[in-house]
Amino acid sequence: MLEAAELERKANWIRNEIVEMTVGLAGAHLAPSFSCTELLVALYHGGVLRFNPEDEQWKGRDRFVLSKGQACLALYPALADLGFFPVGELRSFCKLGSRLGAHAESNVPGVEAFTGSLGHGLSIAAGMALCAKMDGDDYITVALLGDGECQEGSVWEAVMFAAHQRLDNLVAIIDRNTLQAIDFTEEALALEPLEAKFEAFGWEVRTADGHSFDSIQAALADIRDRSSGKPLAVLARTTKGKGVSFMESKPIWHYRTPNREELEQARKELAR
Amino acid sequence: MRDAFFVSLYETVARDERVVVLTSDTGALVLDALRRDLPQRCINVGIAEENMIGVAAGLAMSGKIVYTYAIVPFVTMRCYEQVRVDVCCQNLPVKMIGVGAGMDYSILGPTHHGTEDIAMMRQLPGMTVLSPSDNRTAATFAFMAYETPGPVYVRLDRTGEPLIHTNTVEDLSAGASVLSTGTDLCIIATGRMVATALDAAKLLSEQSISVGVVDLYRIKPLNAELLSDVINGSKNVITLEEHFITGGIGSAIAELIAERGLNCRFKRVGMPDQFVREYGSREYLRATIGLSVDNITNRLASWVGALAEQVSR
Repeated sequence: MLEAAELERKANWIRNEIVEMTVGLAGAHLAPSFSCTELLVALYHGGVLRFNPEDEQWKGRDRFVLSKGQACLALYPALADLGFFPVGELRSFCKLGSRLGAHAESNVPGVEAFTGSLGHGLSIAAGMALCAKMDGDDYITVALLGDGECQEGSVWEAVMFAAHQRLDNLVAIIDRNTLQAIDFTEEALALEPLEAKFEAFGWEVRTADGHSFDSIQAALADIRDRSSGKPLAVLARTTKGKGVSFMESKPIWHYRTPNREELEQARKELAR
Repeated sequence: MRDAFFVSLYETVARDERVVVLTSDTGALVLDALRRDLPQRCINVGIAEENMIGVAAGLAMSGKIVYTYAIVPFVTMRCYEQVRVDVCCQNLPVKMIGVGAGMDYSILGPTHHGTEDIAMMRQLPGMTVLSPSDNRTAATFAFMAYETPGPVYVRLDRTGEPLIHTNTVEDLSAGASVLSTGTDLCIIATGRMVATALDAAKLLSEQSISVGVVDLYRIKPLNAELLSDVINGSKNVITLEEHFITGGIGSAIAELIAERGLNCRFKRVGMPDQFVREYGSREYLRATIGLSVDNITNRLASWVGALAEQVSR
C-alpha cells in the first residue's frame, strides 16, 4: 500500500499517460477515465484489491469488473504500472494491431471481464460473487459502474439479484460524475435519489469523495469483513474530466480528443 | 422432450459439482427435483433474463459450467446482447436451453413462439446450436452440451414422442442423420418437423414419390461434408422447419448449396414471413400456415410434379 502523496503521484501519472496514449486519435474517452482515476488507483495501488501480476489467474485474487469499459484508458496504465504488461505497450493504444482498444478487453493481462456495452458488468460481478459463496472462497468482487450506466434496466435486475442472494462479498462503486455522453444525467433520465434507490433495493450504501484517497479508502476499509448479508454500493462523487480544467463537467468531452492548443494546455495543467 | 432433457441433465448436475442450472422462473417437472435435491446449484433467478446470462457468465468465468433455462424467446432474444458479449465474446461454457420450439406454446401466441431463434443463435461466433427431434436426442444433448466446450444453444420442444431415433447406440456426433433415402426428393428437417417429414414421406410414397428424410439436429456447426453428399445424391432438396423462413435451416442449407455450387433443385419450407396472430392447437396453427402433414404432402407432391413437367418439356 502506498502513502497518500504517492497515490496522488500515480493518479497524476495515469492522467498524463491517458493524454499521451490518445494523441492523434479521432476520439477517446478521456473525461470518463479522468473521473475514476483515483478510484482505480485506490483499488489497485491503495491496498484495496488482492492480486498477483506474476500469476494473473491466481484463484485467490479479488475480481474487479470495469463495467464502464470505456474507462480502460485509466485501467490500462494502472495495470501496466503494476507489471501486468509492459508500460511501453500503453502507447500502442488503438494503434494498428494493438490488443489495447477503446473498451476493456479481457485478452489484456489483469482485465477480468470483456466490457464496453453498458449494463453488463454488475451481473457478471454478481455471478463471480455468487461463485465465491458457493465454493466458500474469500475473494471480494468489485464492479465499477458509470452513473449514466445505471439507466440500463439490466443494472437493476442485477441490483435486485445481488440483494436477494445476500452477496455481501460484492461491492459496486458508482462513478457519480453526473454526466453521460451528451447530457447531465438528471436532464436525460434522472437517477436521483440514487442512494435511496440502492437502499430500497436492499443494499448498504456509502458515499465518498471519488477524488480523495482518504475518503475512498474509508468507504472500502472493511469490505473483507462485512457480514451484513447486504451488497455494498459506494456512490463516489466525482468530476468528469477531473484534472484538466476545460474538460471538467463539460458534456462535449465525453468522447473527444484535444486539438493542438488544448493538448498543450492539458499537458501544462497535468505537469507536476 | 423437455423432461427427457432434464432427466439427463439431472445426472450431469449430480455427477459434476461445477455444473450450475439457472432458470428465469421457467419450470419443468424434473427441474423441481433438481431444485429440491441440489438447491445450491439450481437457482430461480427471477424473471430477469439479461441478468441471468450475465450471472451465468460470471459463474462460468469462475469455473462453473452453467445451464440457463427459459422459454425460447426469453433465453435468446431478450438477453441476446448478453449472450453475444458476455458469453460468446469470451467463449464461456454457458448453455442456453430454450423450451418451446416454433409454435409449441401455440395458444400463448407470438410472444412465446420460438420463430427466430435458429437465425439468431447460429449467427453468433463460437455458438453450437442443437435441435433435438425426439426424447432420445434431447437426453443425449443435455450431456453433449456439457461436453461441448464454449457456448451451446439447445432448442427444445415439450413433446418428444414418438421416438425417431430408436437405435440406442446411434452416434449423434455427426450432426445429422440420414433416416431414409429416396430417389425423387430429400427432406432435410429439424426438431419435431422431422416427425412431420417422415409422415409426409410415407404419404408421398403412396403416390409413388420416393422421399428420403434427414434429421439435421446440429445446426451449427453444420456437417458440411455429410450434407453435401446427401444433397449431391438428390435431384430435389427441401428444408423443413418450424421457424420463420428467413435465417433458419433453410438459409443454412441454401448457403451451403450456393457456396459449394451443389447441383439440385431447392426449396425452403417453414413459417411464412408473418406473425401468427390466431389461436388454437399447434396442429391447427400449422394447418393455417401450410405446415400440417397434409399441407406439406400436397405442397411437395405438386412441387415434384411441376419439376417433372419442366424436365419433360
